[in-house]
Amino acid sequence: MVDPDDPRISDETLLRRFTAGDAAAFDRLVKRHQSAVYRYARAVLPDGADAEEVLRDAFQAARRAAGRFRDEPSARSWLLSFARNAARQRHPRDREADTTPLRDLARAAGWNSPNGAASPPVDARSLEAALEALAPEDREALILREREKLGPDEASRVTGLTNAAVRARLHRARLRLVAKLREGEADGR
Amino acid sequence: MDDERVVAGLHCGEVLADLTEYVEGWLGQDRSQRLGEHLRGCEGCRRLLHDLGLVIRAVRALPEQPLAPDVEARLQTSLNPEDAPPLG
Repeated sequence: MVDPDDPRISDETLLRRFTAGDAAAFDRLVKRHQSAVYRYARAVLPDGADAEEVLRDAFQAARRAAGRFRDEPSARSWLLSFARNAARQRHPRDREADTTPLRDLARAAGWNSPNGAASPPVDARSLEAALEALAPEDREALILREREKLGPDEASRVTGLTNAAVRARLHRARLRLVAKLREGEADGR
Repeated sequence: MDDERVVAGLHCGEVLADLTEYVEGWLGQDRSQRLGEHLRGCEGCRRLLHDLGLVIRAVRALPEQPLAPDVEARLQTSLNPEDAPPLG
């Protein structure tokens, strides 16, 4: 008997076991990824109260689709793509082009500052406040990379953006986060 | 901008566009080397690289928040309704 809690058992194996009739294998997959899916939902929804419903909907949809899991960059990005779809159903948003010149974002982040600005504060409280102040699209880009450690192909699977767009958006989100941390410091937060 | 310049054959604006790619190791070796040369000679770009690295590491080090027990219990119930505790 294979122990489903064994971390050496891959997500892909758990999904195969589930589709072969082992219901506990899906429960194990849920336990592995539930915090990540919830964290993602909290990041992209304007109202945190919806995140729990997205969490539930994402895993229910994934369970229905388990038999079709193949050629995916990873199980985590596959699961997060269901969370994204569920979040979009609750809060449809048009994807607006990010037209702010990169130089403007960089200057707000302190690039080539004439005064040789000190580094921004990076304590947990400042970071949480700055992340909260970002647009959901920027938080999404940051969460997928910095917290879930997804590569561009995986983030592309979640968001539906091209690989190049994922990388560009991550760069802009990072610059905006640095700028928000500087703003927060200037505001005395 | 007066404060932008060309160092090691690269303009600051080109370097700015590639900083995340550089940090992540997503650039080709030649491009990465050229950026490295620019950064060694350009304090403005080097400072932004430093701040980006600082913030990236700090976000990655934020503590993991496990799912709250009540949220986890409701998720389990929604996936396995037969396991729900009896009403009353």
